[in-house]
Amino acid sequence: MKTILEINHLNKSFDKQNILHDVNLKINSHSIIALVGANGAGKTTLINLILDLLPIDSGYVKFLIDDNWKKVTGVMMQDNISLHRIKVKEIIELSRSYFDKPLPYTELLTIANLKTQENSFMSELSGGQKRRLSFALALAGDPQILFLDEPTVGLDSNARNDFWKEIDQLRKNGKTIFVTSHYLEELENIADRFLILQNGTIAFDGTIQELRSRKGQVLIEFDSNLAAAIFNNLNMVISINQIGQHYQIITNRPNDLITALNPYLSAITNLQIKQTNLDTMLLNYQEDSTHA
Amino acid sequence: MHNYLFQTKLNFRRIILRNKSFFIFDMLLPIVFYLLYTRVLTTGLSTQALTAWNTNYLISMVIYSCMLGGIVTTSNTLLDDQTSHFRLFISLKPISKFQYYSSMTIVFLTLNLISSILICLVDIFVNHVVISLPLLILLIVINLAGTIPLITLGALTSLAQKPNTVNLLNNIIVFPLAIISGLWWPINLMPNWLQKIGKLMPTYQLAQIERNLLHHTNVNFGAIINVFAWLIILALLFLIIIKLQKQKGLVE
Repeated sequence: MKTILEINHLNKSFDKQNILHDVNLKINSHSIIALVGANGAGKTTLINLILDLLPIDSGYVKFLIDDNWKKVTGVMMQDNISLHRIKVKEIIELSRSYFDKPLPYTELLTIANLKTQENSFMSELSGGQKRRLSFALALAGDPQILFLDEPTVGLDSNARNDFWKEIDQLRKNGKTIFVTSHYLEELENIADRFLILQNGTIAFDGTIQELRSRKGQVLIEFDSNLAAAIFNNLNMVISINQIGQHYQIITNRPNDLITALNPYLSAITNLQIKQTNLDTMLLNYQEDSTHA
Repeated sequence: MHNYLFQTKLNFRRIILRNKSFFIFDMLLPIVFYLLYTRVLTTGLSTQALTAWNTNYLISMVIYSCMLGGIVTTSNTLLDDQTSHFRLFISLKPISKFQYYSSMTIVFLTLNLISSILICLVDIFVNHVVISLPLLILLIVINLAGTIPLITLGALTSLAQKPNTVNLLNNIIVFPLAIISGLWWPINLMPNWLQKIGKLMPTYQLAQIERNLLHHTNVNFGAIINVFAWLIILALLFLIIIKLQKQKGLVE
């Protein structure tokens, strides 16, 4: 693996409000990098700065694989392109025409899953079909790096599963994928590296395992008819969620919590210890930041 | 070069060939005005005066049709490309913005060329105005070159980014500009102060260049400089606003 994109001391503000502050990143080839964060954390701004759609205040973005980075990147933005009076086959051919060695037309049509609709106008496609088409258009130049901004929005669950399988295959073929998504459970299963963007800075950069060990959090679930106040008073509890008689407790000291629950074990059933998922960890990051 | 030709071909398809109702309206409107002003509202004129009026009004309506094509069509098409995210799509591809805009300009100039030819044909076959073919070709070529500032003005208007605002701007610009430039009725019928403003407009100056050519009078270099200056000013304004919009985060 080699570094193909370098971001150094990147800063961006709008109307004197800091959106990104001193962002430093090195992106390696053959990997899937997930950029996550709450709404307004600066994810889209960071992508726009990388893609030169916004001017940089200070710092720099440098692609290390080609003088013309547009020749080696494919981009799927949040908004689908939907031109009036242009057919599916025409926009695919137009996309191919910009590159020296594009993917074959039929392969792109298959990726778009629009074999029977190549003569349809783009504006006649459904939201999911437009999303698939945008994905195919991003791949037209057989790019080294793919930028995917909320790629599965508008896709049904089957289409989402198929999509991530294709992304996995692209990684195996040596591509680098930089992705943002609000479907965190999907990213959890596929991304090699997570970047948590918070208040304009990279709050975490590492694998999901590193994130778990760093936060050291586990989820303890059980059923009990005891009052929530009993568990709330335990100082090793980070957060508690009660649904009827079902409790979900997040802690970074699971052994201490189990010991503390000992006196109540007779009133506790179905005790389970689980790994926290990305959603929970991200939520905790936000809560940590709010409390800080 | 291949992608440039392909992109231009697609632009022709989507803007003209697959948009027939717009195309017909765009072509017919100036012809209807021309016929109205030369066949209906000209009773009582002597044959000599009528010939002069028809010839001058030919120039007016050729320029007016190019105003419709140059300002209204350009702004609406570019706005459509922005709202459908085509401009964003283009800006992420390894081609220059110049390629996109020049490819579109070829289509807009072709629209202007077709409308100019149609009005001239109406002039020749309906109003029986006699113009030699070389002079006619020269007039049309000069007219096309002279409408490039109008296309730039249309591109500038499209930067308003909202369909309502763009339509409002088009209405504010096109009709008043046609009137104060003396395209609908002679400029000397207007108050002096308005005439002064009208004579600064590129459409008035373009009409002067073409009328001088038609009447075999001297080339009006002042008018040529005026039209060229408008092109430079509008192009600079366009580039500055694009840059400011990018800085403000109004992405493509």
